[in-house]
Amino acid sequence: MHIVDGALAVPVLAVGAALTVAGVAIGLKKMDYDHLPQVGVLSAVFFIASYIHLPIGFSSVHLILNGLIGLALGWAAFPALLVALFLQAVFFGFGGFLVLGVNTVNIALPAVMVYYLCGMGISSSSPKVAAIWGAIGGAGSIVITTVLVAFSLMLSGEAFLLAAKITFVAHIPVMIVEGFVTAAAVLLIRKVKPEFLNIKERYDAV
Amino acid sequence: MRFKLLGALCLSLLSLGVAAHNVVGGVYAIGDQIEGEVGFSNGDMAAPGTVVNVTDRQGNELARLETDDEGGFTYTATQRIDHLFYANLSSGHILELTLPADELPDSLAAVGSVEVTVDKVAVPSVSTTSIATDRQGLEQMIERAVAKQVVPLRKEIAAYKEKSSLQDIMGGIGYIFGLCGLGIWWRQRQLDKQQTG
Repeated sequence: MHIVDGALAVPVLAVGAALTVAGVAIGLKKMDYDHLPQVGVLSAVFFIASYIHLPIGFSSVHLILNGLIGLALGWAAFPALLVALFLQAVFFGFGGFLVLGVNTVNIALPAVMVYYLCGMGISSSSPKVAAIWGAIGGAGSIVITTVLVAFSLMLSGEAFLLAAKITFVAHIPVMIVEGFVTAAAVLLIRKVKPEFLNIKERYDAV
Repeated sequence: MRFKLLGALCLSLLSLGVAAHNVVGGVYAIGDQIEGEVGFSNGDMAAPGTVVNVTDRQGNELARLETDDEGGFTYTATQRIDHLFYANLSSGHILELTLPADELPDSLAAVGSVEVTVDKVAVPSVSTTSIATDRQGLEQMIERAVAKQVVPLRKEIAAYKEKSSLQDIMGGIGYIFGLCGLGIWWRQRQLDKQQTG
């Protein structure tokens, strides 16, 4: 999921950086500052999630959780994920500094898309429907991320279909796990702390 | 039944290897043999047959290697120059490794300058040349023996460097919370200003 320095062409890096700056600006502008601690907590969650490898079968996967982060934060996912990705590069050597912009877009843009696509769904009065939308958000954000990763590689000269196929197939287990985790998280948060997912506000809006 | 199918699907997919990890690897010289390995930080090695390009500093291709079953590759150096290794493991995972010239034995030709010195040593008499070759052989043996002992240690150090400690994790979380605190403080200051102003 983290593209490393040296894999991408310079124009791709520049566009990624520009999009990230724009996304972070929108995120900071739209962010409700009362939710700042929440942004911090989710940023920390993402920071650790990539480090914890869950052993499954012969290999291991790690959670990305950008779906859940998107559902909770909306546009504020951009600053939250930028900070987390930066610190991952510093402390763990994941990704790199030049490629930070592209990585942020690849992970935060799907989060924002999920926020708009599934936000309504998870506020549904039926827990079952909400859980299904949560699962769609969790798995869907990974799908979009893999497509964006493949797209960045294609712009840098790799064959899109091949890159997309390899990245997609490699992440199918992550999508499944992520779907379950996000659905469970949505169910739990709805019960315990609905304002974490902006559910009350949405009800009022509808 | 459905769950069994799902489980089987998961397992078969997982065996393909999940690539969402850091790429790690190393190159080590044992005499004029360069041994290297490519893999992921979670312990998976690169798929057999992954292409590793060997080039010099100027980018001239010296060889095109393929990894074996355990993600390893070997290359026999013919020149005492910097060797660059490049492997693309797909999905944006790229590994670049460098083996500096000074890790290779002195006996290898250092491009051009060597022949003159060899002549000077070899000319005087028969007995000195045999001593010289003996010495050379001995030096090579020593180099190889030392490398054999040192390479596992270097591999261990490389693996150790890849491992992040609890301090790293705590440090990262600390930074995030610190940033949040900074944001809240700044926000509070703004609010205070508005109230007083």
